[in-house]
Amino acid sequence: MRPALTRTLLPLLAAIVVAGRTAAQQTDPRLERLDAATRAAVAALVDSARRALLPTEPLVQRALEGATKRASGEVIATAVRRLAADLGKARDALGSTASPAELNAGAAALRAGASPTILTQLRQARREPLTMPLAVLADLVASGVPVDSAAAAVLALAARARDADLVEFRRAVERDIALGAPPAAATAAAATAADVLVNAGARQQRPGRP
Amino acid sequence: MFEPVDDVIERIARHLRRPVQIDPALDRRVMREITALPAPARGGPLGEAWRWLRRPHQLTLTPLSGLAAAAALAAVVLLSRLDSTPSASPQAEARAFQFVLVAPRATHIALVGDFNDWDATRTPMHRTGSEALWTAVVPLVPGRYHYAFFVDGSRWLADPSAPVARDEDYGAPSSVLTVGGGGS
Repeated sequence: MRPALTRTLLPLLAAIVVAGRTAAQQTDPRLERLDAATRAAVAALVDSARRALLPTEPLVQRALEGATKRASGEVIATAVRRLAADLGKARDALGSTASPAELNAGAAALRAGASPTILTQLRQARREPLTMPLAVLADLVASGVPVDSAAAAVLALAARARDADLVEFRRAVERDIALGAPPAAATAAAATAADVLVNAGARQQRPGRP
Repeated sequence: MFEPVDDVIERIARHLRRPVQIDPALDRRVMREITALPAPARGGPLGEAWRWLRRPHQLTLTPLSGLAAAAALAAVVLLSRLDSTPSASPQAEARAFQFVLVAPRATHIALVGDFNDWDATRTPMHRTGSEALWTAVVPLVPGRYHYAFFVDGSRWLADPSAPVARDEDYGAPSSVLTVGGGGS
């Protein structure tokens, strides 16, 4: 029985495993838009991210964005490497159960200047997906809001606010900034208004007393 | 009268002991026939492998071997899934998003971003209603997307109605759209 097993099953398993590994390591055909040297560098970063169980699609898109915008190979490789590092830090802060979308948004928040501690606190504060709170945090900082103000406001809202509430909060801040309000003050005011709305919504959802 | 039995046996034995006379050309004829037969196909290791694959085999598995096989298959499936980790779960439902840009003097505008591999040929925008209004509709699953408008094949424009993407690397402006609802 054992020779039969050795002669038939083991080669079959080896073939399956090798085929799977080969398919997984094949360079993404979309990267053919890059020159050979850049393609090799980006493919190595993508492989490394895959081995670390990080999402690879954001890295491929970052490289393709650079190719379309005619950035040099060195700039593209640097941008992809930086994003891979940020995705790794985001995963460390958010935990291994974070979705690819959350990791991508977390990487943007870290790049904007948020600390990993903020990401961890957001994870602890909110049961729903963190994609929107992290994205709003990054977007506010990009609008000129100091990172501490943006983080404090998003943390305060994250536990109960729905995604739509957070989008409306971000729009209110951007509107006030466009009208001339200082970014930190605009954020604090919009956060207070949003908190009132969120709490009112939560009260309405409670079952009425007899 | 009959011969005695012993004599008969003796006569048969004598006959059988006589050497058989064979045609001396027989060996040559046999070897010629063998040489004329078609040689069996070899094909080296590949041919051997092909014949091995086509031959029926009987497998006998211990429970432990079966578990090992299942684990190997699971590893292959896991590897292939990791290879294609998109921005959001592929099972997530896509929603249509309309992108709008007012550009009265433009002759051609392409919408490019993370949702179309930054390919300027994939999502051309169309004039709708007013001559100045350009629109495109793209289905998106939950996630965070960078995008921009590519005007007349030479100019990059960010979306004035969306958050700006911070980008220290590529310089050209782009915007961000976050689609909520993705699970963790």
